[in-house]
Amino acid sequence: MMRPYRPKDNVQKKSYYTDRFWVAPKIPKIDVKEDEVFASDTKKIKEKFDIKDAYIQRGQLVVEIDPKINKDLLFFLRDELEYDMLMELSAIDYLAQSGEFEIFYQLLSMSKRKRVRVKCRIKENEAIESVNSVFRSADWSEREMYDMFGIVVNNHPYLKRLLMPDDWVGYPLRKTYPLQGDEAAQWYEIDKIFGKEYREVVGPEMRDPAYINENDTNNFARYKHEVPKGAPADSEPIEIDSFNEDAPLVETFDLKKSKFVNRDR
Amino acid sequence: MQQRNRLEPFFENLSFDREDNRMVINFGPQHPSAHGQLRLILELDGEKIVKAVPDIGYLHRGMEKMAENMIYNEFLPTTDRMDYIAATSNNYAFAFAVEKLLGIENEVPRRAKVIRTILLELNRIISHLFWLATHALDVGAMSVFLYCFREREYALDLIEDYCGARLTHSSVRIGGVPLDLPEGWLEKLSVYLNNLPRQIELYEGLLDENRIWRMRLENVGVIPPEMAKSWGCSGIMLRGSGIEWDIRKEEPYELYDELDFDIPVSTTCDSYGRYKLYMEEMRQSIRIIRQLIPMYKDTKPQLMARVPQYISAPKEDIMTQNYSLMQHFVLVTQGMRPPVGEVYVPTESPKGELGFFIRSEGEPYPYRLKVRAPSFWHTSILQDLLPGHYLADVVTIIGSTNIVFGEIDR
Amino acid sequence: MAQHQVNYAASGGLPVALTTVDKIVNWGRTNSLWALTYGLACCAIEMMATGASRYDFDRFGVIFRASPRQADVMIVAGTLTKKHAEFIRRLYDQMAEPKWVISMGSCANTGGMFNTYATVQGVDRVIPVDLYLPGCAPRPETLQYAVMLLQKKLRKKTIFNRQKPKRLV
Repeated sequence: MMRPYRPKDNVQKKSYYTDRFWVAPKIPKIDVKEDEVFASDTKKIKEKFDIKDAYIQRGQLVVEIDPKINKDLLFFLRDELEYDMLMELSAIDYLAQSGEFEIFYQLLSMSKRKRVRVKCRIKENEAIESVNSVFRSADWSEREMYDMFGIVVNNHPYLKRLLMPDDWVGYPLRKTYPLQGDEAAQWYEIDKIFGKEYREVVGPEMRDPAYINENDTNNFARYKHEVPKGAPADSEPIEIDSFNEDAPLVETFDLKKSKFVNRDR
Repeated sequence: MQQRNRLEPFFENLSFDREDNRMVINFGPQHPSAHGQLRLILELDGEKIVKAVPDIGYLHRGMEKMAENMIYNEFLPTTDRMDYIAATSNNYAFAFAVEKLLGIENEVPRRAKVIRTILLELNRIISHLFWLATHALDVGAMSVFLYCFREREYALDLIEDYCGARLTHSSVRIGGVPLDLPEGWLEKLSVYLNNLPRQIELYEGLLDENRIWRMRLENVGVIPPEMAKSWGCSGIMLRGSGIEWDIRKEEPYELYDELDFDIPVSTTCDSYGRYKLYMEEMRQSIRIIRQLIPMYKDTKPQLMARVPQYISAPKEDIMTQNYSLMQHFVLVTQGMRPPVGEVYVPTESPKGELGFFIRSEGEPYPYRLKVRAPSFWHTSILQDLLPGHYLADVVTIIGSTNIVFGEIDR
Repeated sequence: MAQHQVNYAASGGLPVALTTVDKIVNWGRTNSLWALTYGLACCAIEMMATGASRYDFDRFGVIFRASPRQADVMIVAGTLTKKHAEFIRRLYDQMAEPKWVISMGSCANTGGMFNTYATVQGVDRVIPVDLYLPGCAPRPETLQYAVMLLQKKLRKKTIFNRQKPKRLV
């Protein structure tokens, strides 16, 4: 039996079977002329900027641009075209396909009730300009993007990891990062609290939540009767119910019935 | 003897005597009134806050990564744990986003839409009651906490009758709802709705003119409209700043375009105005559910969309018809394969705009799933909002932003 | 002024009650188990519901304290992430002996459904746990039952043997 080949550049779960003749359908890209507002907006954008593509997908305008003009275009969209809120900002990892990240900015215009998505692609080692001066809300989103993908953002006021700890190794949302973490991630809390020398004492993580083991009296995996922690598996069970709940807590001392005990014998 | 470990005493960011006479204090990450695991590093001048640096990520559980390794139906229960106070609104937002991706949002049968809208509004009531309870507890009104939890428990009983769970409902599926309403459920619901307005009056009677409540909330946490727009606020944080924007009205989904309800807006921009909005929204939710109850009766009993390519047939068909059984088998073992493309779908959750961005490559697993959680953006505003306030106001400002850490850190 | 004259020996009962030291200490200990509010995620909402009006937790003597110095039992309610693991250990170390830990919910027991890079796979990797409480999220009744079980467990202990601190490793 041959070991199946797993590509290293994308370690996420994949479908185990795909029909050879199956071709995935595509969400249609509608021409911008179908919608009046988007048509006029696209025309205004095209007058000032050099954009790669513009189309409507599922009711929202998508504009593909060169990453160098992202800040200028967002300024233009905010001030001239009334797209005055940044609702979402993040990246998609296409390193395996083309060595690029796709960054998208999701904008909302409350006066026109329209949404626009601006997309651009950067290479792995390139940096992108911060849009923090256009929308203050980009502050944390860009930090999150840096944290999760390792995309460096130029001119950001405080580019630091946001969700993961500062001493974390690797960028979790890249396709090369496994779901259950690399070695540094798996031992992170043990290294930090007890030190590396305790790795062997505590043992590796149990990644199967349904794991049972009758000999494990230290952790959650035991399923038989309860024994003291760390005791051998076949030792006497703890009888929690042996305490007599009905017995009185205090016993009254009745002097009449009591007898003196001769202590001197 | 203590267990030996490497952790040193934690005083490095606490310095009392500095040359500029400022103190840095550490708030959290385990603080009873931080509504979760928020860590704030505050720089104080006397009792005034000069600089605030929120630190999040203490509940980051890697949900977006999980989504990339799960088929669409498998991921649905995970969305419960994002905004765990109103779980159905997350389920719904995800299911709706996938329906948009598949292009089947018009196939959802009407009865499913009615049930979904009732559940969404019931969740809004539960969430707002919970907000009022915890916020009042932070400010010091213990009895409001107990009263609100009483009403919340009755609403949770209704939810439990419907789907069997109190907190993590998973009561919405992609393409419909799994169950019909149990017998007599709507009657119980109307009894609950008849009782609730009196209780809301009770809370308002306790709080509205309460001197402590007003002094701690009025002119505290003022967010001007420009600031709210620039920071991407949504929901009540936006309406509390005088901007009338509710996705239920502006970009209606489900049955909201047939329903008659108002969008309350406050122009005071402070915490007290937001508190009034929460109370008013609960009343509007009651009004919406009252309109939905008669709608239920004239719907057909179909609950799931009939799209055999993506969604399993009803159980009866699976048990009797071979083709339905085959479809069901493929959909369960391999998962549905949506078309290539991407969608961003916003919905109005109790906290604000909850959006799902899904990029599909035609595989059963989403290529990228990004959650636009409203609380994330409402937490980031704290770094601009807190400076200038007193230390005691931190708790009320965090309370009035109504943040939940499950969806901030995801 | 009337003299207070009661002949205790004659009237058949002394105002003296005798008991064992074990019983009286355990009685006090088990009926005032003050819990540290360690709400981490979804289970924290159920923990709050347990403390609120319907499932009145004060009946069991469980009062939530915000400070680890005043708490006897730590109810770890929710997912423990790797970033937070350091702090739970810190707070556990700050609690005064004797102390107990209830791990509430699947996430705290084994990592639960969050089998990812960011989640500690079971809080017992970091602190010793006395009672595991399954469920996602456990109902308030379950938490009450867990506290009652913990009380039963404590009543069997004698106070004369010094409690050995629980060792994790």
